[in-house]
Amino acid sequence: MTETTKIKTRNLSFSYNGNAILKNSSMDFQTNRITAITGPSGSGKSTFLKILNRLWETTPNCTMLGKVEIKFADRFHDIYRPQYPVTRLRRQVGMVFQAPNPLPMSIYKNVAFPLELAGRNDKETTRVLVEDSLKVVGLWREVQDRLNTSAFELSGGQQQRLCIARAMVLQPEVLLLDEPTSSLDHKAGEAIERLLLKLKKQCTILVVSHYLDQVQRIADAVVEVREGKLVTYELSRN
Amino acid sequence: MIFKQFLEKTVPLLSWVCAMVLLAAIATVLGFLFLRGWQSLNLQLLFGTTPVLDAILFKRRVFDGLFPAMVGTFSLVCLAVCWAIPVGIAAGIYLAEYARGKSRKMFNLIFDVQAGLPSIVVGLFGFLITIFLNRQLSNQIYPCLLISSFALAFLVLPYIIRATQASLEDQPESLRMTALALGASRMQNIIRVLLPQSLPGITSGVILATGRCAEDTAVIMLTGAVATAGVPRSLLSSFEALPFYIYYISSQYADQEELATGYGAAIILFFICLMLFSLAFVIKKRVNFSVQYRVH
Repeated sequence: MTETTKIKTRNLSFSYNGNAILKNSSMDFQTNRITAITGPSGSGKSTFLKILNRLWETTPNCTMLGKVEIKFADRFHDIYRPQYPVTRLRRQVGMVFQAPNPLPMSIYKNVAFPLELAGRNDKETTRVLVEDSLKVVGLWREVQDRLNTSAFELSGGQQQRLCIARAMVLQPEVLLLDEPTSSLDHKAGEAIERLLLKLKKQCTILVVSHYLDQVQRIADAVVEVREGKLVTYELSRN
Repeated sequence: MIFKQFLEKTVPLLSWVCAMVLLAAIATVLGFLFLRGWQSLNLQLLFGTTPVLDAILFKRRVFDGLFPAMVGTFSLVCLAVCWAIPVGIAAGIYLAEYARGKSRKMFNLIFDVQAGLPSIVVGLFGFLITIFLNRQLSNQIYPCLLISSFALAFLVLPYIIRATQASLEDQPESLRMTALALGASRMQNIIRVLLPQSLPGITSGVILATGRCAEDTAVIMLTGAVATAGVPRSLLSSFEALPFYIYYISSQYADQEELATGYGAAIILFFICLMLFSLAFVIKKRVNFSVQYRVH
């Protein structure tokens, strides 16, 4: 563990319907870095991300053992401690899914939605934060004239950037992305990669990826989920 | 191979024919109703000899028109649906989102049994409750609008419960996860995301319930509807209702002219239902728009 460690997992075991997905794994993840999580299909990459924001708890028949600590405000917090509110955790640890999943709302409401959930109801602040967030993901110029239209009218790549903007509006310290480019075309995928390289200055990023070339382009570190263990993987850049 | 090709062509054709038969049946029923009843549709059918304005402003009682039955039916349906909607939606949410294991099985069974209860049994139950209240609470309590509306709400509750439950359970996993991943609590997820998305299904349940409230005769016959009560003055008054009038006329008409007024009453009932359905659709659209698109 170093001073820049952001996330610590200790003796992490996870099973679903009695099948062991992760077995007694420990790993550290560094601040303001992009860590790629790789591994074969069904190895538990997405599950590992859901362990970091406790989203697996909505799925029945799952069991988790071990400890996960994330550093917020210079102090490590055990995120599975009963006193730690899960809603607060998920506001600090944003998540973007494999397929773009805008809510059936207008573009503006999609990005403002997490602020509303968090009880931040000041309209002017919301407007500024929404605008900033859309600017960060490079979407503002494309949508500023049609904020009231349905988010489904955007292209796939735009929808995914909207989802990143929505996750970023609460300024999370950790951003989890589950194969964010796999449902997009090459050009849209590249835009997301550029965005992630920009976002790592603001937060710690963990991205599940199947594409080795993508991992080479964006990742600072690679962790492979191999037979239930988390294994660090040396990155060889040419 | 030939049989498979035959099936490929026949099944869509058969489905189309079945849909057409259904449409034709609906058109026949409506056509028959309008052909028989349109001639009797006039102000006299509604207000008899009472001046229209006086009747509408409740200044004078209408003795020989359908106006009191229209008011009675409208009040009854609105009241029953008002009781049934919150309870039905809450129970549907519980079944879809919270109930697990044995309690879920038990409630599913209870609501299935409730859905299968004959309306005359519900009416009888309402009547027994009235007798009980009359003896135990106050001898001023008789079969009335309030008890009728409660009994009808009980009858239609399963429609709303099942519609809410099915619509919520149909929501895709990705939608469920989205708001939770953004920091929504379970309740926020239900109220802000899942319920608005389930509104079309819930509205269908409400429409079905409204229709059932408007047409049911057995329940109201035992719990408050009478042939000549006038416009109900309070929740504890007995009342007139169109389905009861239609039933009464069709079984005891003296001549063809009187029977035609029954058809007229059926057309009016049809339009009241249509109005309530439209209201349900408008509310659904308004709520959807306000939840999803209203900015600032």
